[in-house]
Amino acid sequence: MLLPILLALPFAAALILLVAPRVGRNFAAGVVACAALAGMGVLAWMAPAMIDGEVLRFNVEWLPLLGLAFSLRIDGFAWMFAAIVLGIGALVVLYARWYLAEDDPPRRFFGLLALFMGAMLGITIAGNLLLLVVFWEMTSVSSFLLIGFWNHRADARLGARMALTITGAGGLCLLAGVLLIGNIVGSYELDAVLAAGDVIRTDPLYLSALILVLLGAFTKSAQFPLHFWLPHAMAAPTPVSAYLHSATMVKAGVFLLGRMHPALAGSDEWFWIVTSVGLSTMVIGAALAIVQQDLKGLLAYSTISHLGLITLLFGLDTQLAVVAAVFHILNHATFKASLFMAAGIIDHETGTRDFRKLNGLWRYMPITGALAVVASLSMAGVPLLNGFLSKEMFLAETLAIAHPPMDWLVPAFALLGAMFAVAYSARFVHDVFFNGEPECPAGIPHEPPRFMRVPVEVLVIVCLAVGIAPQYTVAPLLEIGARGVLQGPLPEYTLALWHGLNLPLVFSVIALVAGVALYYVLQRGKALHRRDDRPLAKLGFDATLERVIALSRRITAAMENGSLQRYLLLFILSVLVLGSAPFLAAPSAPAPASSLAPHPLAILVWVLAIAGVIAVLRWHRQRVVAVILIGAVGLAVSLSFVLLSAPDLALTQLLVEMISVILLLMALRWLPQVGAPEPATAIRWVHAAVAVACGVGTTALVYAVLSRPTQSVSEYYLRSAVPEAGGANAVNVIIVDFRAFDTLGEIAVYAIAALIIHAMLKGASSAVLPAHATPGPHRTSLLLQISTQVLLPLAIAMSLYLFLRGHNAPGGGFIAALVLAVALILQYMAAGVRWSEKRIASDWHAWIGWGLLAALATGLGSFAFGYPFLTSSTPYVAIPAIGAVPLASAMGFDAGVYMVVLGASMLMVSMLARLKSERGAA
Amino acid sequence: MNHLPVLAVALPLLVGAVLVLLHAVPINARRVVALLGALAQLALSIALLRTAADGTVSVYLLGNWPAFAGIVLVVDRLAALMVLLTATLGLIGLLYALAGQDRRTPHFHALFAFQVAGLSGAFLTGDLFNLFVFFEVLLISSYGLLLHGGGANRVRRSLHYVTFNLLGSALFLIAVAVLYGVLGTLNMADLARKIAQAPAADAAVIQSAGLLLLGVFALKAALLPLYLWLPNTYAAASAPVAMLFTVMTKVGVYAVLRVYTLLFGADAGVGANLAWPWLLPLGLATIGLATFGALAAQSLRRLVGYLIVASAGTLFVAIATASEASIAAALYYLLHSTLATAALFLLADLVRRGRQQAGDSLRRVDALAHRTALGLAFVLAAVSVAALPPMAGFLAKAMVLDAIGVQGHGAWIWTVILGSSLGVIVALARAGSHLFWRGDSAPGPAGAAALRPRLPERAALGLLLLLGVALTVFAQPVSEFTRATAAQLLAPQALIAHVLGAQPRAQLEPTP
Amino acid sequence: MELLLASAIGVLMAAGVYLVLRARSFDLILGLTLISYAVNLCIFAMGRLAPGKPPVIRDGAALTLAQHADPLPQALVLTAIVISFAMTALLLVIALRARSGSGSDHVDGREPGDQA
Repeated sequence: MLLPILLALPFAAALILLVAPRVGRNFAAGVVACAALAGMGVLAWMAPAMIDGEVLRFNVEWLPLLGLAFSLRIDGFAWMFAAIVLGIGALVVLYARWYLAEDDPPRRFFGLLALFMGAMLGITIAGNLLLLVVFWEMTSVSSFLLIGFWNHRADARLGARMALTITGAGGLCLLAGVLLIGNIVGSYELDAVLAAGDVIRTDPLYLSALILVLLGAFTKSAQFPLHFWLPHAMAAPTPVSAYLHSATMVKAGVFLLGRMHPALAGSDEWFWIVTSVGLSTMVIGAALAIVQQDLKGLLAYSTISHLGLITLLFGLDTQLAVVAAVFHILNHATFKASLFMAAGIIDHETGTRDFRKLNGLWRYMPITGALAVVASLSMAGVPLLNGFLSKEMFLAETLAIAHPPMDWLVPAFALLGAMFAVAYSARFVHDVFFNGEPECPAGIPHEPPRFMRVPVEVLVIVCLAVGIAPQYTVAPLLEIGARGVLQGPLPEYTLALWHGLNLPLVFSVIALVAGVALYYVLQRGKALHRRDDRPLAKLGFDATLERVIALSRRITAAMENGSLQRYLLLFILSVLVLGSAPFLAAPSAPAPASSLAPHPLAILVWVLAIAGVIAVLRWHRQRVVAVILIGAVGLAVSLSFVLLSAPDLALTQLLVEMISVILLLMALRWLPQVGAPEPATAIRWVHAAVAVACGVGTTALVYAVLSRPTQSVSEYYLRSAVPEAGGANAVNVIIVDFRAFDTLGEIAVYAIAALIIHAMLKGASSAVLPAHATPGPHRTSLLLQISTQVLLPLAIAMSLYLFLRGHNAPGGGFIAALVLAVALILQYMAAGVRWSEKRIASDWHAWIGWGLLAALATGLGSFAFGYPFLTSSTPYVAIPAIGAVPLASAMGFDAGVYMVVLGASMLMVSMLARLKSERGAA
Repeated sequence: MNHLPVLAVALPLLVGAVLVLLHAVPINARRVVALLGALAQLALSIALLRTAADGTVSVYLLGNWPAFAGIVLVVDRLAALMVLLTATLGLIGLLYALAGQDRRTPHFHALFAFQVAGLSGAFLTGDLFNLFVFFEVLLISSYGLLLHGGGANRVRRSLHYVTFNLLGSALFLIAVAVLYGVLGTLNMADLARKIAQAPAADAAVIQSAGLLLLGVFALKAALLPLYLWLPNTYAAASAPVAMLFTVMTKVGVYAVLRVYTLLFGADAGVGANLAWPWLLPLGLATIGLATFGALAAQSLRRLVGYLIVASAGTLFVAIATASEASIAAALYYLLHSTLATAALFLLADLVRRGRQQAGDSLRRVDALAHRTALGLAFVLAAVSVAALPPMAGFLAKAMVLDAIGVQGHGAWIWTVILGSSLGVIVALARAGSHLFWRGDSAPGPAGAAALRPRLPERAALGLLLLLGVALTVFAQPVSEFTRATAAQLLAPQALIAHVLGAQPRAQLEPTP
Repeated sequence: MELLLASAIGVLMAAGVYLVLRARSFDLILGLTLISYAVNLCIFAMGRLAPGKPPVIRDGAALTLAQHADPLPQALVLTAIVISFAMTALLLVIALRARSGSGSDHVDGREPGDQA
């Protein structure tokens, strides 16, 4: 139960900072520090268990389907690492309290710091690999935000993005690797995975899993060639560098190596990959560290090199090497953190981090100087300091390698690396504190505030204590940690200053002497100051990213060029492919057709239709003509409906045709009467070909169906139309009863269309009219006026009649409404808007609204009788001259249809008409 | 009897009708009606989900006719889930619009209600032609909402969008007609039964019709090469509309899930597993191109548009794998991506207001008011969309990858999906760093106060993010639900039997 | 007869598609109108062809599809006609607004020559 508390502490701190009304530096730092210290307390509480080699666990289900559980698990290694995270964390917070400037928002800084602390803690004590990935990526995100803390600086933004990109990519690789391991083992629980080492190593997927996981670790721990993001992360405030980029986050990679050691290590692949990467990183990092001009740059490359060293040790894959690795993790954390803080102090007090400006600071800040010197000696591996001890172990291990050619290659390069380490340490000491006079932007430098130095002092004292009397200080901690990695008993080793005169010692001495000499040679006459340190990595990264972006722009522009024609063509082509694929795959022989003999009238209609179509194609730019022609085609269509015994369709088609023609003609007043001629390009032929293909395809499909025998549910409608739905006109019965729900949707669509048109044209007449539009003169023929006025009452009667008989004979609400609408529209055409709206003024919205309500109400009415929506009941009443009319509840529904259709049609037309009249008046 | 299914459609229609009648009254009255309607709709859909949660399939015989003759509404887990999602986003979008965007055009609230009605109807109907009708309802409302606010750009985008969908509708009709012509029914369950029994001679025609339907749905769901309309259209829409549109692409996904598991599922005889071979490669290609689009995007809203396309691609890849686990993962992913992209659309709108000159451009630099708060929200949403822990996006992506596995093409699919994740991370990091980090801090308090997001807007955004968090925390129950949903989809026989077996109640006798 | 109808549908469809692919909003609308004719006829045809047998129940005619044309496709066509008409009207108005917005009736709101 302690584990969740331990983990919750930092997040709680972050939450407090998020919600707290006012946050000052003291408060913020206090909260986070308390969280860290409390965490330390919890760890101390656990210490006995750890010494006994116990493993504490906590487990809650999270996403069982995936195998992701919120399970925490702490063993010695995790415990040791958690101690580093919290201990250094507390010191960094204290330091940052004094480091931050007045105008740096403390809420954000310490909040993010706490968030990171929690995530890092999560990595160490996660008991489920997926959970580990979760925290892993959280550190990437929080580090992105922390590096970009001073976001007004371009280098900060770039550094942040670079870090996120590289570590993010690594995180994705890690995720993939973890998922693979999960598939192999059958569980993501750490205990299961660590126990299944042999299964994993023998699995065919082992190599891919290994590489993916290693990619994750190497990106995080800035291993060559993925190291370049770390120097750029130095744009972060120094406390962040000290915490994330030396002591903890970059250690997550090597932590992972240690964590997965029992599961993944112990194979040749592991040995070769990890060792070579670690070795090259160590040497290259150290070499580059020497030539930096930026204080933090040097420290960053030195960190890279030390991480390489640790990686190399894990790669060597002997138990002693592991012990050495764990030991060096501890030591590096202490001396490197203190060095970063010292660098921060220097930066803070002098206003620069440039070696070329910083010289001879010893005189101005002797105490800081002394601390920094001790720490850097430890970094160089000078005896009496902790760095020396682990470096000795390291050298000893390199000399113990068996695999040729590594048995001589590694020691040689290790020596080289050690030498470089001495060289850059020497430079750090000499170039900053001696070697001339400072030229500081911030005036005469002086010692920092008291408390800013305390953390450094603490860490340096640790370095000394460990270095002088290891067996009394670090020994138990190291034992606990190492045992956690190896998941078993430890090999024999002695922590002592003096192992007698042996090869490692000789190596150390050589490294020290040669290193100092090397620095002396390089630096003669400040030669190092004249080297330019243009970060090639940055340029490379930028260039690559820009290339990717440019590529994306090209691809996107090529795909999405904003041309409707292009998109439509793509759409139609893909439809052709989809539709024809099955036929091409398996050409099916059409079943024998029961073909009807072509009716002579049908042939006539066919000719009319085809001729009309061709004419439309020919004259589609003479738009008025085209409208008339298309009307003719529509006529042919409705004739064919007549021929093929669909009276309702014929009527509807005819009426809709009339209204559309009217609308089109109205609209044409504000569109060019003559379409712009089109350049005769090849694309037109492509379009023509595609069009023909569509035609042929449709014909084939339709014919293929027509040549098959039918087997429809429709006979049911014929049988039950009269007895159950009380209507003889099967079509109408289907519309208002069997499938009334369709009709409901349909009138909704019709109503919405009218509403939108109203919304678009409302008061927009002036906007809608292009200056160069040339509407025809507005004339009203008297004859037409009279005739329509005579016609109007007739139309009303007609529409009423059609409406009432609709259930039994062709007609019905829709058709009836259209009849009236057409008559009214003719009225508008003939008499002009003002005249008409004086007489037939009506709130068409009300018609639409009430119509919809009526339709819905009839539907809901059947609830009262305990029947489903739209269930009809059909009492008949006799009306003279029309006969028995089914007063079906369906009639109520049909009335709704009638009102909506009338209202909507009139709304559309009146909007367009008003548009015209206003233009006419203007 | 239980009228919930039809009420989920009838209620918003009713609200819409009332709002039409109230078109002249002061807007606050309409706001109240709309808000009450949305709340009622949410309550309804929650009740609906409860009925479906235990796996019962409720069949509602409209007009009390037998299923094959009339139109049926079918409520299974998937339908209920989608209806709930719609109601939720509808309510949140409405909330956001209340801050003032609903004034820009008459009928905004009515159209919004009709859109919800259309979506719910499409999710609930068990009849293929009726599905077409409700597609039209939701489409035409979406046209109105897209035009909402006016402006030449919107109008032009709408012209493209409408044209596209009109062709799509024509295609839909042809496909439905052909299916009817061969099989003689429109009821999906009946169709499923008859397709399974269809003779080999009819195979080509049936498959052809089925694939034409795929074309329609792919257009709606923005699948390669039919996604090109989406980024600009959504970028042109006003924020509350755009966020409701995030559900609209999911209608296409829903339709694919429904039709190709029910009609053309594993045991559909001549039509078995019709769509999957097409969806997998197209989905992968879509992910790739959408990622490039996201990297290339020069405004936040276009970026989000491409993220939607990418998520559609991922969904189709997972669906095309057609295993219970993969479809379950896909559904979880669907919920997450809908919420996250919706949140990003609202954010984009607030950012546009916060930067007076540069809008949401990712090229021009400008000060941003209230950037800390907006930045925080952006980080939350972006982390989720980019599938970074600890948000739902990560869980969703992990589930998808895990469900697909590395067997067969798995390795390729993993590469594409993870690669696209990296691309999205880069794109969002660039966008975020540009919008929230570049440019000096916000204008003076006087200006800032005016730009402050209003309460409803903050509430809407907060709700979306909160839901995202809830999706993460309650991953277990949600994923179990989606798992059960997937199981239900992959075993359609139960549903078919239910629908075809549903008996009308004794009919009222017509008085002669 | 079947071939006659099928071919007519094909011709309408082809012409419609060609017109839709013209870049002018008005041609677009003409094309969509033709396509909707084709689609309506297509739906209608799916009930097979039955001249002279309207689906209105008459005394003496057996209630079979042999004696009546299939009513269902006709009902569907009615719905389809209305919807496509609504859509066309809407598209028409959008086209008007687009023209007034950009001064061009090109679907992309700009004449092929000029940029932006």
